[in-house]
Amino acid sequence: MAVDIELYGQILPDAPRRQTLELEDSTTVRGLIARLDLTSEEIGLITINNVQSELDDMVPSDCRICFFPYVSGG
Amino acid sequence: MRLLRVDMQTQQVKWEPVRPVYEHLGGRALVARLLLEEIPPTCDALGSENKLIFAPGLLGGAGVTAAGRLSVGGKSPLTGGVKEANAGGTAGDALGRLGVKAVVVEGQARQGEGYLLHIRLDSTDLQSAEKYKGLGTYATSDRLQEQYGEDCTVISIGQAGEYLMRGAGVSVTGEKDQRSNHAARGGLGAVMGSKGLKAIVIDKPLGRAISCVDEGLLRSAARTFAQKLINDPKLGTQGSQHLYGTASIVAAVNELGSFPTHNFSRGSFNDAENLRGEHLREVTLSRGGQTGTRCMPGCVIACRNVFADETGRPVVGTLQYETIALLGSNLGLNSLDDVARLNYLCNDFGLDTIETGAALGVAIEAGLARFGDLEGILSLLKQVGEGSVLGRVIGNGVVATGRELGIHRIPAALGQAMPGYDPRSLKGNGVTYATSPQGADHTAGNAFGARKEVNPLGVQGQKELSLKLQIIAAMLDSTGLCLFARPPILADPQLMVDMLNGIYGWNWTREDLDHFNRDVLRTELEFNRQAGITSADYRIPAYMREEPLPPHNSVFDVPDSELDSIFKEL
Repeated sequence: MAVDIELYGQILPDAPRRQTLELEDSTTVRGLIARLDLTSEEIGLITINNVQSELDDMVPSDCRICFFPYVSGG
Repeated sequence: MRLLRVDMQTQQVKWEPVRPVYEHLGGRALVARLLLEEIPPTCDALGSENKLIFAPGLLGGAGVTAAGRLSVGGKSPLTGGVKEANAGGTAGDALGRLGVKAVVVEGQARQGEGYLLHIRLDSTDLQSAEKYKGLGTYATSDRLQEQYGEDCTVISIGQAGEYLMRGAGVSVTGEKDQRSNHAARGGLGAVMGSKGLKAIVIDKPLGRAISCVDEGLLRSAARTFAQKLINDPKLGTQGSQHLYGTASIVAAVNELGSFPTHNFSRGSFNDAENLRGEHLREVTLSRGGQTGTRCMPGCVIACRNVFADETGRPVVGTLQYETIALLGSNLGLNSLDDVARLNYLCNDFGLDTIETGAALGVAIEAGLARFGDLEGILSLLKQVGEGSVLGRVIGNGVVATGRELGIHRIPAALGQAMPGYDPRSLKGNGVTYATSPQGADHTAGNAFGARKEVNPLGVQGQKELSLKLQIIAAMLDSTGLCLFARPPILADPQLMVDMLNGIYGWNWTREDLDHFNRDVLRTELEFNRQAGITSADYRIPAYMREEPLPPHNSVFDVPDSELDSIFKEL
């Protein structure tokens, strides 16, 4: 399954901001983070298809998943 | 400390000792108490009975980082209730160092007369401000600093305040040539205009910060507080707030579907990419602008930017999230350059960008311009500064604009425009908008930062969350602390207790602090009750309960019974 990934802010500054990843097996958000060489400590907010998500949520097929750093209200 | 009373009718200024009942109060808490005790709550907000108050917070002048905000207060001509709006810059610190608990401006000058209040350590007086009449806040600040020295603080209104527009705010200068920190909300610029007060100049105080009862306790707590801010992943030197400013949340709010778009008809903007904090930083740095600067002396967060145009000329500082939302996506504009131009004009006229952005959104819905049409929008905004009939309608805010133009989708609560979070997809903020004695104001209790505690789209827990946040906001606004500096205090309220005890020797406990915070809200609610405000005035507009907001197709469905009972446990 294909997953569109978007990185924001100072997360992995040298990595492309957008990428599409082909996943052979189902995985959790936590598993995806590990594949991206990210650590959960640098992630403040995760959304899957516009909905706030958590580390142990399963990644659905053909979704868009965004990783944000810690941010507070404006 | 002393209290300065300024009688605009007689042009007399008088210093008086602080009454014991006010000694424990500062900033928003002092505003609320003074208003409840000294003005008839039913008075005309733009009449002689209203009072305009300038007050540093309890930490003002004590050299605590991020704690130099200035509270401006009075009865709001926009909400008809109590109003406190605060701003960064150097005013809060300067007044605190001068030992000024508050400046209370009373009465009204004769119609057509304008005055300047000059506050010095040794003498303070009112002078004619005739030559500054009709000037915007930039020119007013520039000229006054030329005359009184570049290190003085200037508090001023622009044309909007002089025209008594309900969308007018109060502008405060900062260090060096920094401009346009705004106590923007609630029409307090119009109250200042109604007094005949064009500006206040505060000489830079010489010497150290105010004396403290227990210097060691204050410094120890203040150091820990500053270090915790620096270590915070959101706020430190590698944090989003520092790197990208308040615009760091554009992408997240847009992604979560709460980003006001096209007059609050959608919760996400297709072109948000160009409005993001990341883009703001990239553009700013590539053009020779600035990021990571301070709006208050000694702030370790330093989230302010100076946005420059393509030639590298500074346009506006700071370009903020709320402005980007209300003057950007809400108007269908996808360029930071466009937003910056509108922002500059609002700042110069002395207008609240939230109120004005919302009013322009309604004007567009009425067909006066098109979404995304910068020239059309500029033409409407320029009319506000010129004082045309249409300009005066827009300058009077979103409710006035909607009523005059026959638009019923008016994003407001208690007469005040909603800030940059649509309450249908961030329902905790909806509860704050619909219950805060300040009206629709995210700084009164912003649930965005608590999105992990309570599902932003759900109903469950929103009331409790908003109440908790409103109590905390009351503390921040009363101590002069920036909203963004709250995490260390939330994690350890003893830090605030120690800083206050260090300065004042009150021997407060955490319970005392909590009681103090709650009492601010109680006092404000009582003022509004006596002003005749009812639950009907506080409500979220009906269309937001009926019209689903894409992309979640959510409506604001927190029951009225929840809203009406929020302060039962206060």
